[in-house]
Amino acid sequence: MKKFFALLKVSVKSMLLSSTNTPGRNRKKAASGIGAIVLIAFLGLYLSGLYSFMLMEVLAPVHMEVLVFIFMGIAALAMGLLFTTFAVKGVVFGGKDNDLLLSMPVSSTVLMTSRVTAIYLENLLFSFFVLGPAGAVCAFLTQSGVGHNLLFWVRLLIAVLALPLLDTALSVLFGALVAFLSAKVSKGGALGQNIVMALYMVAVFWFSFNLSGMIEDLAANAAGIKESLSWAAPILWMGDGILGDWKLLLAFVACCAVPLALVVFGLGKVYRQAVTAFAARSARNDYKLSAQSASGQTKALLVKEAKRFFGTPMYLWNCGLGLIMLLAAGIAALVMRDDLRAFIAMTGGLLPVLPLAAAVVGFCLCTCIITAPAISLEGKYLWILREAPMEESALLWIKVGFQLLLSLPCTVIAGVCIAIAVELPAWQGAVLVVSMLVFAVGQAVFGMLMGLCFPKLDAVNETVVMKQSLAAFLGMFVPMAALALCGLLYWLGGKIAEWAALAFPVALLAVLTVLCTVILVKRGPAMLKAL
Amino acid sequence: MLRIEHYSKTYPGGKKAVDDLTLHVRPGEIYGFIGHNGAGKTTTLRACAGVMDFTQGTITIDGHDVKKDPVGAKRVTAFLPDNPDLYEFMKGIDYLNFIADLYDIPAEQRTKDIGKFGDAFELTGNLGSPIGSYSHGMRQKLALISAFIRRPRLLILDEPFVGLDPSASHLMKGFLADLCQSGSAVFFSTHVLEVAEKLCHQIAIIKDGRLVKSGPTEALVGDSSLENVFLELEGEQ
Repeated sequence: MKKFFALLKVSVKSMLLSSTNTPGRNRKKAASGIGAIVLIAFLGLYLSGLYSFMLMEVLAPVHMEVLVFIFMGIAALAMGLLFTTFAVKGVVFGGKDNDLLLSMPVSSTVLMTSRVTAIYLENLLFSFFVLGPAGAVCAFLTQSGVGHNLLFWVRLLIAVLALPLLDTALSVLFGALVAFLSAKVSKGGALGQNIVMALYMVAVFWFSFNLSGMIEDLAANAAGIKESLSWAAPILWMGDGILGDWKLLLAFVACCAVPLALVVFGLGKVYRQAVTAFAARSARNDYKLSAQSASGQTKALLVKEAKRFFGTPMYLWNCGLGLIMLLAAGIAALVMRDDLRAFIAMTGGLLPVLPLAAAVVGFCLCTCIITAPAISLEGKYLWILREAPMEESALLWIKVGFQLLLSLPCTVIAGVCIAIAVELPAWQGAVLVVSMLVFAVGQAVFGMLMGLCFPKLDAVNETVVMKQSLAAFLGMFVPMAALALCGLLYWLGGKIAEWAALAFPVALLAVLTVLCTVILVKRGPAMLKAL
Repeated sequence: MLRIEHYSKTYPGGKKAVDDLTLHVRPGEIYGFIGHNGAGKTTTLRACAGVMDFTQGTITIDGHDVKKDPVGAKRVTAFLPDNPDLYEFMKGIDYLNFIADLYDIPAEQRTKDIGKFGDAFELTGNLGSPIGSYSHGMRQKLALISAFIRRPRLLILDEPFVGLDPSASHLMKGFLADLCQSGSAVFFSTHVLEVAEKLCHQIAIIKDGRLVKSGPTEALVGDSSLENVFLELEGEQ
């Protein structure tokens, strides 16, 4: 056990340090990192509280509170799967410290268990953020006294601790499968891995859309919905268990713990082989040198960024998901334009279509965080750029430019498609596209600044940098907060005049973008030099 | 070619890594830089290469001040750290072209030089494979090729012989000599004193950040050996 905890400490420490940066080296940065995590935790609790409240308002009157826990449980499971399945390949099987740790007198099962436990702790956060607020809402809103005694909270705590076990078992299983298929499809090549990950994402989105369809029918047929969820029996047991059925709660705990134990001990037996197989890369020695072509510095650096982005599936699918979402949102809006138009007509013109369209495009852009981890990803390779005969500012702007090369066209496509689908007047369509282009520039520049402020150059794992680094967190959530502020300004401006409702948010985006750009121009090169 | 004048480097926390170092490397010279672990060799080499910032002293390469004209200085320099990490997502040939593009090397010249050095180091056949699949020695060879194809005026190497097999080491010494004959200079650190003694025209010994002895190899070694001189200076003999 001593060895297990020592290994677990390393995994967790590496995760925490990537999120809060290195304490001690710079207390100001560490403090701001912890502050940001607190802010994100608050946002998570707020959002899940809001959804729980909306569900409970509908379900409490018909005494179907259990469905709130079932839906929030499924949401926690889906979120955990989405976020940690991709992490499994890097954190559990692909650590840069594999050679060091595998050479030590520790059984591979213990090593794997320590890394799986780190994944469990991450899933535990999702479970806490999603089920915790549901319990609080239940205590306040329910009419049947559920949630008003201590045992309810004990049962909820057991569920919060047990659910991530199931999540982790599924994440590790799917993660190992994705890693195995990726290695098989193209012997580690990026194309094969991207195809496997794309298929996985399609499956997750299909599941999410079906779930939202169920929620739409909720008020009409709550009991029927519960019956139709019989395929998710353990989650039903969890719901009933939280509300008082101890036997079902214990059955749920067993259903979570046993699969994880099987997965850990099963994969633990072949861990060394799995690590070797997943890390294998195809190597050939039959290359014939032909005439090479030359290009300029800028193109070379852009091509390098592209190779890293498209050649590292973890980077593409974690930091470029927004691009796919932008295109998907645009195309989906066009395909479903009749439904959208009917829905807008039904609201009788009360729906603020332009701000909602901007929120959709803006949200997708927020999940496109290519620049935020870009400096950390240079890590041990930073010396190559530093010795290159180029100004530091050029190196930074090429990274920003690469994100913009991808995000600006996607923004235009999404904006135009949505504007056509919801029949925005031409000038409003133009406002939508231009304001979102400004936002896209500001968001890319802000991500670069975060990468410079909170670099993680010595991460043992690139996955950690992309998924859990403070720069990636802030690069995603601060622009979201800016969007929320725009919404507030739209509402306040609407009280003055129609033009003010649009002008205030657009002006805010423009000011923030200019501000970020000025800071990057003035401080960026020195910050890069100081790393 | 390389002029280091009163260069000092103090790390945050107050540790003085290098103290008032002055050293000149002339064109056509192979200059060895030796010292115990933590003596300040790597800190000096990194400052010369423009990879690390410094506040005291001046460093000029071929007339370009590393602080005032870093791009000009880097354009005529090639630097290899002790353990060169190369982009694992690139193929070997992509990395060489990437470096060649950064240094504006014409297509014809790079094709010729990649062929020449790739064949010599027996790496041409592997250039189509991802660097992630390379062994440590292959990465070292690729890094060396990427330095040689730049035809640098100053080549800065930190422990270049680590990880190279004997034939690659022999080849490299030949290429270093060729480079110097063409008027360039080589400034490198090493712990392999026999190699330094045979290869270098000039040698500098650094201890605790201070230059303790420097000069032409023959004058420095005299009738003794570099190992004896080094150990005497280190106070271990």
